[in-house]
Amino acid sequence: MDKKISRRDFLKVAGVGAATTAVLTGCGPASRLVTREPYTKMPEYTYNGLSTYYATTCRECSAGCGLIVRTMQGRALKTEGNQNNPVNLGKTCARGQTTLEGLYNPDRVTDPIRRDSRGSTIVKKMDWDSAIQVVADALSKNRPDEIAFLMGLAPDHLFDLVTDLTKAAGAAAPVRFGALGMFEARATLVQAANDMFGQAGLPFFDIGNADLVFSFGANFLETWLSPVAQTREYSQLRRSNPNRRGYFVQFESRMSQTGAKADEWIPAKPGSEALVVLAIGRLVAEANNITLPTAFSNADVNAAAAAADVSVDTLKHLASLFASAGHPLAIPGGAALGGSNGLQVADAVLALNALVGNVGKAGGVFLSPVAPLTDAYHRPANLKEMSDFVDLLKSGKIKVLFVHGVNPVFELPKSLGLEDAMSKVLQIISFSSFPDETALQSDYVFPDHHGLESWGYQKVATGSSSSVLSGAQPVIVPFFNTKATADVLLAAVQKAGGALASALKFKDELEYIQSKLSSLISEPDGFFSAPEINTFTAFFQQYGGWWKTTDNRVALSGSDALNKTFNASAAQFNGDGDFFLLPFVAPVIAEAGANKPHLQETADPTTTVMWNTWVEINPDTARQLGVQNDDVVSITSSAGTVEASVYLYPAIRPDTIAMPFGQGHTAYGQFAQGRGANPADLLSNSTNEAGDLAFASMKVSVKKIGKKRQLSRLEGVLGIYGKFGQQ
Amino acid sequence: MPKELQSPMDSANPAQDVQGIWGMTIDQDLCTGCQACVAACSMENNVPFVGEVDAGYGRSMQWIRIERFWQGSYPNIKATPYQPVMCQNCHNAPCEPVCPVFASVHSASEDLNLQVYNRCVGTRYCANNCPYQARVFNWRDYMDPRQRPELVTLSNHWNPDVTVRRRGIMEKCTFCIQRIRHAEDTAASENRDIRDGEVVPACAQACPASAITFGRINDPATKVSQAADTSRGSHLLEELGTIPHVTYLAGGA
Repeated sequence: MDKKISRRDFLKVAGVGAATTAVLTGCGPASRLVTREPYTKMPEYTYNGLSTYYATTCRECSAGCGLIVRTMQGRALKTEGNQNNPVNLGKTCARGQTTLEGLYNPDRVTDPIRRDSRGSTIVKKMDWDSAIQVVADALSKNRPDEIAFLMGLAPDHLFDLVTDLTKAAGAAAPVRFGALGMFEARATLVQAANDMFGQAGLPFFDIGNADLVFSFGANFLETWLSPVAQTREYSQLRRSNPNRRGYFVQFESRMSQTGAKADEWIPAKPGSEALVVLAIGRLVAEANNITLPTAFSNADVNAAAAAADVSVDTLKHLASLFASAGHPLAIPGGAALGGSNGLQVADAVLALNALVGNVGKAGGVFLSPVAPLTDAYHRPANLKEMSDFVDLLKSGKIKVLFVHGVNPVFELPKSLGLEDAMSKVLQIISFSSFPDETALQSDYVFPDHHGLESWGYQKVATGSSSSVLSGAQPVIVPFFNTKATADVLLAAVQKAGGALASALKFKDELEYIQSKLSSLISEPDGFFSAPEINTFTAFFQQYGGWWKTTDNRVALSGSDALNKTFNASAAQFNGDGDFFLLPFVAPVIAEAGANKPHLQETADPTTTVMWNTWVEINPDTARQLGVQNDDVVSITSSAGTVEASVYLYPAIRPDTIAMPFGQGHTAYGQFAQGRGANPADLLSNSTNEAGDLAFASMKVSVKKIGKKRQLSRLEGVLGIYGKFGQQ
Repeated sequence: MPKELQSPMDSANPAQDVQGIWGMTIDQDLCTGCQACVAACSMENNVPFVGEVDAGYGRSMQWIRIERFWQGSYPNIKATPYQPVMCQNCHNAPCEPVCPVFASVHSASEDLNLQVYNRCVGTRYCANNCPYQARVFNWRDYMDPRQRPELVTLSNHWNPDVTVRRRGIMEKCTFCIQRIRHAEDTAASENRDIRDGEVVPACAQACPASAITFGRINDPATKVSQAADTSRGSHLLEELGTIPHVTYLAGGA
């Protein structure tokens, strides 16, 4: 009997073995601040059976929403929004909810690995010391101009560190890219603000205080810029004032999840957006008896109506709505910016806002607050710059490429030739936490921690009226043998020695972050203040960041915008297919959610399709093509061909087909790999005037290939039995 | 009738028996169909994923689904306002009288539908009788890491407050009863009533549009009672007389 292990002893042993409570990074950064303690010596605030909550920042996209993560006995159990964080005020999206499936993903890269040959899944595990040596050698044995960094949109602290590193080394600044930024056309938005208001920055659309919103393609309730914040604003638009319900009109050729919420959906022909905006502007000026400003003087209402396939009466009706509204607001976005004349559309929409005098006013257009620790909004690379970067790789001048936080092999159009260019680079080191396509083409993968295991901060680009720095801290001990990329780089720099080592003398990631945060101690208007950096860091962790209590949006003048001259024309299209191709970011799984099974199984909001790629075709068009639901069609553009199952979508123009972006992975783990198709394979590398990818400028042909592949969908389907799993 | 089968509204002395009736409003004007509630519910309540093939057969297990229907045809087409549907926690619940083993029972004190997993033998009569199709059935051992190796790591985030269900068990939305019980225990230990807003189910907590309100609908002072008491409120399939505890606020103009 004495030999038996009592239940209590068993629990003790299990507790020590399986997980320790509450405390942060074990052997990683800041182990001098936090230590791994046994179960029997818990911190005094931890009780068995009670949860411990940590404030951190979501890294599923770059919006920087604050999270509160519930943990118990060293496991992260649930993410909720951080009610303090001004970006999301306690709310999250579906991706934020399932971020735990990334953390505990069975396909994570568990150790630093070396690949025998690129593309091969046969790898050898390394230890971290030799991994750091590889990085140190790469930094010291190559000339600075032979080193390149490619970074994702999050996290910002690592981007800052790499920026400092490259500056000290005399190498080129890191290039920053992300598929969401590409589909949001961020360069176009920034350029348009500069064109129209004379100041570059990310526009802020005050949806909540408007009473009429015209959205030209902006999918602001899905993945666009800061969807959680914009959904809250949308709520305000509809219900904040009991006496009036804000009205919402969406212009797009395929009804998106956002468009489905609109009171009026205007299926304008792709490419006609600029003409429509200017025509509405002209009609608004006439309705309000304003002298016709230069900006709208060239607009031709009849020609615009014809080009857009929308009646003149409809345009007049919309213009009278806009002219008579108290706080009208127009938003450019989505496919409207992804045409060859996307910048013209953005410019025209901002001019339309200027026409009704809402620039810099409540319910109108501002520039987003500039985040703490930065002088201005620095946009990610547009496609033009990415194309230059690919050319640089192709030239063979780059000997070592570091990649973190982005999966360009999957995200960039194939026509850019990135994979080919990467083969010219001698050494590629990926810091990916997941076995994605880019990691598969790398020689080494030195996996970073998951966002919930990491220190960091994110400079919030837009979504809040105040200037916000969202803070991240580890909520659990790293689950696998991963290491913070910042620590790897800092250690490698010290190993490499020389001037670089003395320029970046930081013990670890946290010390680097503190060196940045220290400038905020003396900053006015912070919602907390602290006398010195350790107290400041403690508050920063406790509240999940630092933000101002003031409205930091930049109010501009729109008067110059009306004096610009527009010579708008319809957009140009590539290829001679019969259909306009509209690729859109899948609202639920977005660009990187495909490896999370609950996101895969969450129904698409408008089609209810799960786990795969579909192509949306108008039922009338489908009848002409002789295709039914679930027939596989091949879609061919001048850049490539993909195959996908048909979904008969009643709310799309008959001359347009639409495909979600987010599936079609050739790697990225068991839930993503070999599933669906990637519409980026159909895109050419043509850009709009601001250098952003003209992703909505392809014409494609559609051909039935005589196969059927049943789509799993939530909505009822008759006669499905025995059909699944068969081609 | 045994007490747990009685409804508080049948009680001779409701003031004494009723602790408070939980209910919910869903504002369809605000719901953007973003699926945050669906994901939040699944993560909170250990709802399994079933994979593409089973999902295609209609075996996906989410406790909430967001319905949308099309009205009209192109170009005069509209999507009906998104409608999240979960267990409506009916007062006269059609699922209850058909259960041969009393797995689907009624809480007399709170007018909730309870599902007792360890009584359930999987006859599926309740799902058959539910007019809202709110119940989901475990066709396989979806939560067994021995059968699904991918769950060995994924199971680390499972909520210890919620039972993991196995094959042959019927389940449904519980109004996050673990959160209700937690709040009730806290209130009891502090010798006070539950405050309005103290219980927030996972769906309502996540909802970026704040379309979901939860609370006690028998107290006219709560937010949820006030939200439900407008001209916009209605119940799903009202004509069946199930008296659901979820009120939908009409969307659209």
